[in-house]
Amino acid sequence: MALLYGLLWRLLLFLVHINRALVSWLRVRLRSWKGRLWERAMAALLLPVALAGVPDPQRKVNQDPDANANPVTGNRNAGRRSRWLSDGRSLEKLPVHIGLLVAEEEPSYTDIANLAVWCMAVGISYVSVYDNHGIFQKNNSRLLEEIVRQQDLMGVDGSKCNVEFLSQGSDKHQHHVVSCRPSVKVLSPEDGKQSIVQAAQQLCRSVENRERSSRDISVSMLDMLLRESKSVPDPELVVKFGPVDSTLGFLPWHIRLTEFISLPSHRDISYEDLLGVLRRFGSCQQRLGQ
Amino acid sequence: MSWIREGELNLIEKISANILKAGPMPKHVAFIMDGNRRFARKKQMERQEGHMQGFNKLAETLRWCKHLNIQEVTVYAFSIENFKRSQNEVDGLMVLAKQKFEKLLEERENLEKHGVCIRVLGDLNMLPLDLQQLIAKAVVSTKMHNKCFLNVCFAYTSRYEITNAVREMAWGVEQGQIKASDVSEALLSECLYSNNSPNPDLLIRTSGEVRLSDFLLWQTSHSCLVFQSVLWPEYSFWNLCEAILQYQLNHTSIQKARDLHREHQAFVQLEADRACVAEHLQHHGNGKPADARRRQEALQHYATCREERIHDFLEALQNRRDSYYTDLLSDAVVA
Repeated sequence: MALLYGLLWRLLLFLVHINRALVSWLRVRLRSWKGRLWERAMAALLLPVALAGVPDPQRKVNQDPDANANPVTGNRNAGRRSRWLSDGRSLEKLPVHIGLLVAEEEPSYTDIANLAVWCMAVGISYVSVYDNHGIFQKNNSRLLEEIVRQQDLMGVDGSKCNVEFLSQGSDKHQHHVVSCRPSVKVLSPEDGKQSIVQAAQQLCRSVENRERSSRDISVSMLDMLLRESKSVPDPELVVKFGPVDSTLGFLPWHIRLTEFISLPSHRDISYEDLLGVLRRFGSCQQRLGQ
Repeated sequence: MSWIREGELNLIEKISANILKAGPMPKHVAFIMDGNRRFARKKQMERQEGHMQGFNKLAETLRWCKHLNIQEVTVYAFSIENFKRSQNEVDGLMVLAKQKFEKLLEERENLEKHGVCIRVLGDLNMLPLDLQQLIAKAVVSTKMHNKCFLNVCFAYTSRYEITNAVREMAWGVEQGQIKASDVSEALLSECLYSNNSPNPDLLIRTSGEVRLSDFLLWQTSHSCLVFQSVLWPEYSFWNLCEAILQYQLNHTSIQKARDLHREHQAFVQLEADRACVAEHLQHHGNGKPADARRRQEALQHYATCREERIHDFLEALQNRRDSYYTDLLSDAVVA
């Protein structure tokens, strides 16, 4: 009997996996189909222009790395930029701080860089990138380069964005420059529970030195220590990529009221996917215990 | 309505339960039972009635969990933030809690038969005294039961719990039982209200909200999170099965992440010990650099001493918590 149940369980799991694969495959197909339709419509519109001898800008964007040099694509970029901004404004609410949680085996730097750039373009001020292996933190310069490259490619003014990489611990506080410019932070598991432990140690040390009594320790005191600056709020939204349904140690203290929205993968992610998530976030209401 | 529901699963439920049990099962499930008020509004009944139905659903869910071999359940009954609700509703919830804990005490024999241990996590001092005493009675009288565990989070938020743990450790430092350098992830976990439970394997939130709302933030950092859109009073056996299936799909990858985290934790502890020993040797080593063997011995010695310190401190902490309950009970007798 146990064997039969075991077999049935395996079959059930297999069916669920098939179901998942099918859904994600359909999603990709649907998107590429939509994309092709769009491309055709664009081509039809641009046909007279193309006949007049101007090179097709559609191709250029993807192939020409020096996109800004071309006046046609430059205009296109400007159009895109203003579209991103107006998309951001059209949403009912926009997070000030967004977390990108990658719960997949092999991270793609280009896609995460794209996401970070789009987030900043729609008007999100703080972007935190996290994976539980700390891969992004170990290779933070690579991610930084990629972000700068994508910014150039998309025609977003790079100087407007401030990319900083937090390593753990003491230099955290000196690192932060008070600014209203958007910034990207790379987090690893050390910034999670370990940072709470460090704050606890700091408080205990001050108790050890008789500077403070244990009774004085409060939630807001701990919160002050764990917040690297007053201007950075807790992330209101975390977008989780990948098949694992867990926070995998993402900043436990800071996700008290964070909304979690999952996407199947960050690979080949499109701007529309991100916008969809932001729309979903915009429609969420919080009651704060009331 | 009582806490313990008798009764078997029907045939289809039983078969499905057996199929699920062929895979890895969660041992500890946490619930955010959200949607009682929305349910009441939907059915056009009184808010209080919605909360009542929510409690009944909890009793039913406990029965399902028992049949699914889930030994431990943690529920979010009342958050510290909930004190902000209208006085009327807060009073209503306190009355409901009082009724339910009285009922629980009446059912003591039944609880003993099933071996149910009830724990209440949160700052009880925030509650009215008579409720505190009822809770103390319930907790003390079921303390020795060890077949299944129900943790009720009452006057609880996770940040408050973590802060309280830091306060307890600082108290240990004040008493000279531990050093500030002994503070570690493992020690902090031991000082939480949930120190007697393993971390939940699965966290379920109903009513379609996709956040943790300050519930078990520390304990669920490597748990499977399942958000379901059904309102809590409408929760069914099949919803629970669906959540468990989702846990099973995640099981391998979460286990891997947990192992990775445990490895890292051990590494951090070793580094911390090493730093303490190095400092010690520098102060007492007459300036001579110690050789590798001596350093290794010192490291081992230091680790053993640290573990002893922590052991004694945790014992003192447990005594302090136990005496809080016994004091409440003796006060009740005097009154």
